[in-house]
Amino acid sequence: MDSYFRIAGSLVGPAAIFAILAVAGCDAPPGSFNANDLYAQVVATRQNSQPGQAAADVSMVMESLFGTPDAPKLPNAIPTNLVDPENLTRAAGPVYSDEDDTHFGIYRSRCVVCHALDGSGAGPAAALQNPYPRDLRAGVFKYKSTPRGEKPTKEDLLAILKRGAPGSAMPAFDRLPQEDLDALVDYVIYLSIRGEVERRLIQFAVTEMGYGDQDGAAIDSERLILDAEGKLTDPELRQTVSQIIENVAGQWSDPTPITVPPMPDFEGDDLVAAIERGRELFHGQQANCASCHGTNGNGQAVTLDFDDWTKEFTTLLGISPGDKAAVKQMRKLGALPPRPISPRNLSWGVYRGGDDPETLYRRLVAGIAGTPMPGLLVQEGEGSTGVTLDQVWDLIAYLRSLGDLQLAGTSR
Amino acid sequence: MSDTLTQPIPANIDAVPPGRGLHRWSILIVCLVWPLIWVGGQVTTYDAGMAVPDWPGTYGYNLFLYPYQTWLFGPFDLFIEHGHRLLGALVGIASIVAVAFAFVSEPRVWVRSLSVVVLIAVIGQGALGGARVVLADRTLAMVHGCTAEIFFTLCVTLMVVTSRWWWAQSANSPRSLLQVSSFRPSGGLIALVGVVLALAYLQVLLGAQLRHVQPTASPGGFKHLVYTHIATAFLVLSLAAVAAWKLRSKAIGRQVRSAAGSEKAEANQNGCGDLTLSRPAMLLVLFVSLQITLGLATWVARYGMPLFAQTNPSMASYLVKSQAFAESLIITGHVATGALVLVTSAFLLLRLVRANYSRRPEWVAS
Repeated sequence: MDSYFRIAGSLVGPAAIFAILAVAGCDAPPGSFNANDLYAQVVATRQNSQPGQAAADVSMVMESLFGTPDAPKLPNAIPTNLVDPENLTRAAGPVYSDEDDTHFGIYRSRCVVCHALDGSGAGPAAALQNPYPRDLRAGVFKYKSTPRGEKPTKEDLLAILKRGAPGSAMPAFDRLPQEDLDALVDYVIYLSIRGEVERRLIQFAVTEMGYGDQDGAAIDSERLILDAEGKLTDPELRQTVSQIIENVAGQWSDPTPITVPPMPDFEGDDLVAAIERGRELFHGQQANCASCHGTNGNGQAVTLDFDDWTKEFTTLLGISPGDKAAVKQMRKLGALPPRPISPRNLSWGVYRGGDDPETLYRRLVAGIAGTPMPGLLVQEGEGSTGVTLDQVWDLIAYLRSLGDLQLAGTSR
Repeated sequence: MSDTLTQPIPANIDAVPPGRGLHRWSILIVCLVWPLIWVGGQVTTYDAGMAVPDWPGTYGYNLFLYPYQTWLFGPFDLFIEHGHRLLGALVGIASIVAVAFAFVSEPRVWVRSLSVVVLIAVIGQGALGGARVVLADRTLAMVHGCTAEIFFTLCVTLMVVTSRWWWAQSANSPRSLLQVSSFRPSGGLIALVGVVLALAYLQVLLGAQLRHVQPTASPGGFKHLVYTHIATAFLVLSLAAVAAWKLRSKAIGRQVRSAAGSEKAEANQNGCGDLTLSRPAMLLVLFVSLQITLGLATWVARYGMPLFAQTNPSMASYLVKSQAFAESLIITGHVATGALVLVTSAFLLLRLVRANYSRRPEWVAS
């Protein structure tokens, strides 16, 4: 019997070594944010050129301006009432907490597995999610109270964090302390501004600085070069970069929510009539919702469309999302596999962005940014191209009746 | 159930085998280690590994002198991290006592050595946990989680080899009179359970990589890890089921007939085989099934309802809740049940090896 255990004992060491080897080398402390190679390729393809060193050089400039995942910096052009530096420090970096229950590294603890360190939405778990996590770098947000082309308010970001998105992997973080949520909101804005500035700078480098030239790189005097202090050597370029940051940050300065007019007081027969009118609009030519959402919103209509994040590196470049060879090149640069976007099955009454009448009103008139969901044209009188304000409420009455929700009733 | 366990106990039962105290103590250690794995799992689920920044002390206090009011009524992260350390220390103390028991009452040198290995392992495990904190290294947290399962397996090994059953298999033991079966497990069956044990540990490694995933890991790599984890889970279930079936089936009855003669053939025709082997095998199948169920639930709790499962409003409206206690128990339960799968495999393998060794034809004849 002893021999059995001598053999077993001799296996313990190798087994332990195997176990350690299996996990060794996995710890990869994030040094820098990833360069946005995908967008550089997109811009270069649009220009019928090559991205060259654009993404790498821009990434270097970005690090000098915005810091690293462990040590983020706030450029002067971003007001501290938009992004509180203290919140930035709390949300970024490694995860720990203190005896007073103050949490640090909140983004890495709660968000990074899906949204990735740089907010690209290509975190480790992203490929297994449908829909994919949001790419914050494009500065486009789906669920918000503001017009389609505008940034969300801080309250919008706070709301989606607290409420989560049912039917997706986006959790409800309502158990987190308010200060943690505030820190996350500020960090999301920071990542979004950082990402958008990076995109604009890549665009500028490829189209204006010669990075997209046939030789693949501009001459040194035209490149983004940093001095010993980490500042751009060219004062003119420095001015341009500051202007870009100001422009992007400025969009976040005062987003205005869409004003929601008073909701009609539908009751009894009025409500039944409103639902019926809404049903006709839903299936009619004016609103034409059924063409995507199917009869009675059953989500069975046959559609083939993609969100804007996917279209950017496929159809808008003339690449079919089904072209595996072409898409593979983009995936190597960080793109996730193209996945068709499906209109919601409205008959279930499950709305990821919220189902209260005010939210549905904003969704109908502004659409959903980044998706094929258009906004309705609201006009004074009845016409063939738009709908009136009353008709919007009729549609809302119908939509809420689909999910057995009472108009103005309690949200799910 | 007509095996010889039901026969009258002979008069020489009082010939107590050595190591009983050690066996009972090792059961206590096993009963402490499983909750320790639970609490450690909760530390990871809540990402509370760095809730106490120093080690081996707690915020400058000696581990055992940290104010209990702050521990019990302070931040939840601190509660579970400090609790994990205290429980770990308790297991360490219990391991020291086990070594003392072994050197006082255990005649087998290799069992004494094993008790020392358990003690060294728990010290190493504590040091690894400390290094994770001092170095703020998440990979060490993953290694700490993986080696915890090895430690748990060592504790179960100590429990098995000091048990009455183990002693009863010995030809020199008075309890050999109670030999329940002369069924001798084949080398193939041992290899099969050995593969289950190896795969169960592979699952621990894969699961740990998913739980402690690095922020810079690629989506493709994570996806393949998930698929491998799922495929291996069903492989483990299949192999465990085959092992259980072989141990319970009437084929075993026939095997016993040929090996031990007609007297045993009747005893095994009920199809239960040697219950001391088939019951752990059935338990293993049960644990693996539970583990797969918990794995699916863990995915839903962590990443939401998969789109293919959103077939009705209830499923489509499922909302992931961050920091929810019930969900955290599901996620950590998956870790803890994985540990049970591992140690049950080890338990069964040890018994099979023992039975194979002690039921050799020459021993049976003697």
